[in-house]
Amino acid sequence: MIARFFASLRGLLRRRQIEGEISEELRDHLEREIEMHRSRGVPPEEARRLALRDLGGLTQTMESTRDVRATWLDSVGRDVGYAVRVLRRSPRFTVTALTLLVLGIGSTTAILSIAYAVLVRPLPYPDAGRLVFLAEKDGAGVVWPNFEDWQKRATSFDGLASSLADAVLVTSGQIPRRFESRSVTANFFRVLGVAPFRGRLFDEPDAGPTAAASAVVSHAFWIREFAGDPAAIGQTISLNRKPFTVIGVLPPDFRYMTPAEVYLLLEPQVAANYRGMLSRNTRTTLFAVGRLKRGVGVTAARTEMQNIAAALEQEYHGKVGVQLMALGDRVVSDVRPTLTVLAGAVTLLLLIACINLASLLVNKGAARAFEFSIRAAIGGSRWSLIRQLFIEQALLVGIGGVLGALAGAAILSGLISMAPRDIPRLDEIRLDLAVLSWTTLLSCACAFVFGIVPALKASGIGGQTLVLRSGRGPTRSASSLRRGLMIAEIAVAMVLLSGSGLMVHTMVRLARVDPGFDPHNLQTFMFSLSGPAWPDARKQVFYDTVVERLRAVPGVENAAVTYSLPFLGSNWWNMFMIAGTTEAQWVAIGEFPNAGMVPVTAGYFETLRIPLVKGRYFDQSDTPDSQPVAIINSSLARKHWPDEDPIGKQIRQGVPEPYGPWRTIVGVIGDIKQEGVDRETSRQIFVPIVQQPRTTAFAIARTRGPVSSSSIDAVIHDLDPTIPVFNDRTVDQVLREASSRRRIAMVVLSVFGGVAVLLAAIGLYGVIAQSVAERRQEIGLRMALGATPGRVLRLFLKHGLIVATAGIACGVVAAVAAARSLASLVFGVTATDPATLATVAALLTVVTLLACLVPARAATRVDPSEALRLE
Amino acid sequence: MNKTQLLQGTLDLLILRILDLGPNHGWGISIRLQQMSKDGLKTSQGSLYPALHRLEMRGEVTSEMTVSENNRRARLYTLTPAGRKRLNKETDAWQEFALSMRRVLRVLR
Repeated sequence: MIARFFASLRGLLRRRQIEGEISEELRDHLEREIEMHRSRGVPPEEARRLALRDLGGLTQTMESTRDVRATWLDSVGRDVGYAVRVLRRSPRFTVTALTLLVLGIGSTTAILSIAYAVLVRPLPYPDAGRLVFLAEKDGAGVVWPNFEDWQKRATSFDGLASSLADAVLVTSGQIPRRFESRSVTANFFRVLGVAPFRGRLFDEPDAGPTAAASAVVSHAFWIREFAGDPAAIGQTISLNRKPFTVIGVLPPDFRYMTPAEVYLLLEPQVAANYRGMLSRNTRTTLFAVGRLKRGVGVTAARTEMQNIAAALEQEYHGKVGVQLMALGDRVVSDVRPTLTVLAGAVTLLLLIACINLASLLVNKGAARAFEFSIRAAIGGSRWSLIRQLFIEQALLVGIGGVLGALAGAAILSGLISMAPRDIPRLDEIRLDLAVLSWTTLLSCACAFVFGIVPALKASGIGGQTLVLRSGRGPTRSASSLRRGLMIAEIAVAMVLLSGSGLMVHTMVRLARVDPGFDPHNLQTFMFSLSGPAWPDARKQVFYDTVVERLRAVPGVENAAVTYSLPFLGSNWWNMFMIAGTTEAQWVAIGEFPNAGMVPVTAGYFETLRIPLVKGRYFDQSDTPDSQPVAIINSSLARKHWPDEDPIGKQIRQGVPEPYGPWRTIVGVIGDIKQEGVDRETSRQIFVPIVQQPRTTAFAIARTRGPVSSSSIDAVIHDLDPTIPVFNDRTVDQVLREASSRRRIAMVVLSVFGGVAVLLAAIGLYGVIAQSVAERRQEIGLRMALGATPGRVLRLFLKHGLIVATAGIACGVVAAVAAARSLASLVFGVTATDPATLATVAALLTVVTLLACLVPARAATRVDPSEALRLE
Repeated sequence: MNKTQLLQGTLDLLILRILDLGPNHGWGISIRLQQMSKDGLKTSQGSLYPALHRLEMRGEVTSEMTVSENNRRARLYTLTPAGRKRLNKETDAWQEFALSMRRVLRVLR
C-alpha cells in the first residue's frame, strides 16, 4: 500500500517523463509490428493499418496505460474536483451546511476557549497543584493575628504567605497617580515559586525593622514608568509620599488574584497597625496562600488547620474557623457557575448544529441514493464511493473549520469586551487550538457518520429496487433516523430555552428589587486625601467644600460624600456596644452587635432619596465638636430595638477596645441594598463624616440628566490638582456591572435558545414536508375513498406532535438535570421553576405545531386523482 | 465487473509465465504469447501495456529502458521474486480450476 502510494506519487511527479517513455515504448511496438507484417510481404500502408488496428488506437492505449500509473493520487484529485462540483451544484445545501458548521465550531470554540483558559488551564506557577488558599470562613480571608498563629503552628506547609489587595499613590511626579497594589509577606513570591524578571524579589531580611523600604513592580509598570530600563533596579520611587527602593521586576506573565502594579511588604504595615491589622476584630482580612509539603494532601492539611482553628477558638473565645481549598479552585470559584452554564449551553448548540448537519447529510445522502446505486451498478467499487463521500465531507468540514475558526476569534473578542473586568485570568484567554481541533473533529465525526453511512446503506439496495424507487425521496430508515434526530433537537432547544427563561425571570426579579433609594442619575467618583498634608481638621472642612462646589455645577441638584457607595458593599464593618449592655451578655449569645459603618456628609440621604423613618437626617448642626450622633437603618433598629424607640439610645464602635465615643441615635432611615440588589439587606450605622474623617471617599452628585464626569471631576482639580481622582462612574453603571455575569448568561442562553428553536422548527417542517411528499399517493387514495381534509390534517399533525412531545418530554428531564448548574445564578426563582418549564414547553409545542401545520395543510390540498396518475 | 477481473487475472498470469522464460519487451511478449498458444490466444495490445504497467506498480515485474540490437530503445520487463511467487500460486490455482472444470464437464457428458 505504502509502496504503491510512493509509486503513484513518483508517477505524478515524473508524469512528463513517464508519458514520454510510454509513447516511445508504444512506437517501438508499432514499428516492430509493421516490420513483421512487411516481412510477410504486406505493402507498407496496409502493414501500418493492421498494426494500428492491433494496438487498438495509439492514443487510447496510451491513456489507459498512463491511467494504470498514478491511479491513486490521480483519482483523489478527480474526486476533489467532483466534490467541488457537487457542492457548487447545490448551493442551498452547501450554504446551509457551512452556516451550521461555522455557527457550531465558531461559538463553541470561542466559549470553550474562555472556559478552558479560566477554569482548566493550570495556574501559571511552578507545581501549582501544591498551592492552597486559606481563609477563616466564607472565603473572606484571615486577620493578621490569626495568620501569624497559623504560620507558627501549621506543619503541613513548605511556606504560608499572605497578601492584601490595596492601592498606592505614586507621588514621584507633579500629580499623584493611583495604582493597584498588593501588600505581601516577605515569603510570598517564594511560596508561589516566582522568579524575578530583573533584580530580585522580596526575602525575609527586607521585612526586618531596620531594612530600607523596598518595592517590587510589575513588568507593565516597569515598561511604562521606567521605559524598561534595567537601571530602574535600585532607583527610588515615592509611594504614598514615602521613598521606596525598586528591588525587582516581575515576569510579564505573573498574575495573582486581582492584578496589581506595585508590590509592597506587608510586615511593616502590620507593625504600623495599618487599617487596624493588629486587631483580631478588624474586617481587614488577608488572602493566605500556602505551599503544601510534598506528599501532604489537601485533606490532611485541612484537618490540621481545623485542629489549629479549634484551638484558637478556645484561646480567644471567638468564632475563627478555617477554610482550605486548592488555589486554582479559589481563583475561579466566582465565575465557575457562569462559565459552566455558558460551556454547557454552547455544547448543546454544537450538538444542535451537528444534529442539523447530520439530518441535512442524511437527507442529501438519501437523495443521492439513486446516483450511488447507479455508480455501484456500473462497477464503482464500494471503496471508491466511500472515498468520494469522504472527500466531499472533508472539503465541507475543512471550509467550515477555517471559517468557524475565524468566526470563533470574532465571537471571542466580542465576548471579552462584554465580560466584567474582574473575571480572573481574562488576559490569558486565547483562541484555544486544542478546543478548535476538538470542535472541528466532532463536526468531522458527525459529518462522516451521518453523511456516509446512510448514503452507503442507500446505495446497497439492489438493481430492481433501484428502478422502482428512483423517483422517490429518502428511504424509510433515513427518515426514521431524521425523526430521532428531531426529538434530540427539540429536547436540546427545551433545555436552552428553559435556561434562558430562568435568566430572564431572574433579570426581571432583580430589576424589580427596591434598592431603597433612587439609583438613577447619580454620578460618582473617588478621591483620596492622604499624607501629612491632610490632618483631620483639614479633611473636615474639605468635604463640605467639595459638596458645596458640586452643588454649584450646572445640572447638579444635590451632592454628598460617603465612605461606602451603595451596591458596592460596606467598606468598613465593625462590632459595636449598646449602652446598658455588657460584653459578657453578648459573649453568652455568641455574637457581638455588628454593622456596616458609613461616614457620610449631611445631605447624603437627601441626595440618594433615602426616606426618613423616624427622627432626623444629619444637618449643619452636626459638627466635629457637637454631640456625637448616629443614624441607623430599619434592619438594625428591628434587630436590636424591636419593641422600643431607638431614638436616643447610645452605641459605641469597637469591641472590646472602643473606637470613638458613645454616639446617640438621632434617626432611623429606610433600608437600602448596600451590599448589592441580590443580597440580603445589611445592618448599617451612619455617622457624620466630620466626626469620623476618612482618607478615601466617594463623592456623589444627583444630576438632572446626563452630566459629563469631567465637569464633576473638575471640582476637585480646581480645588487642589494634587488630589487623585479615580473610578468615575454612575450608580447605574455599578448596577449594570454587578449583573453583567447574569446578563451574559441570559444573552447567550436566549440567543442560543432562539437559534435552537428556529433550527428545530425548520427541521420538523422538513420532516413533515418530506413525509407529505412521500405519501402523496396514499393521501390521494385516502381522499378518493372519502377522507375529509380535516382527517388528513390531523394525521400529519399527530405525526408532528408525537415527535414534538417526545422531544419536549426528554427536554424537561434534561432541563431539570441541568438546572443545578444555574442554581447560583438565578435570583427570586428556583432553578427548576415549574412555571418556567411549563411556559417553555407550551411555547415549544406552539412553535412545533406551527412548523407541522404548514406542510400538513399542503397535504389536504392533494388532488385525489394523483393517486391514479402517479402509478 | 467480475468478468473483467477474470480476464485481467488471466492476462497477468500469461505475462508472468512468458517473463518466467526470461526478460522480454512488450512486442516480444505479444509474439511469444501467440507462438506458445499456437495462435490460440492473442492479446489486444490495448490491454497488454496497461497490464504490464500495473504489474510493475504491484512490484511483480521491473522494467528498464534498453537499446536493442538494431539500435532501438525498448522497455525490457523482468520478473521479480514477488512475480514468480504469484505465478506459482496462480498456476496451481488455475490448474485446480481447470481440473475441476474438466471433471464437471465430463460428469455432465
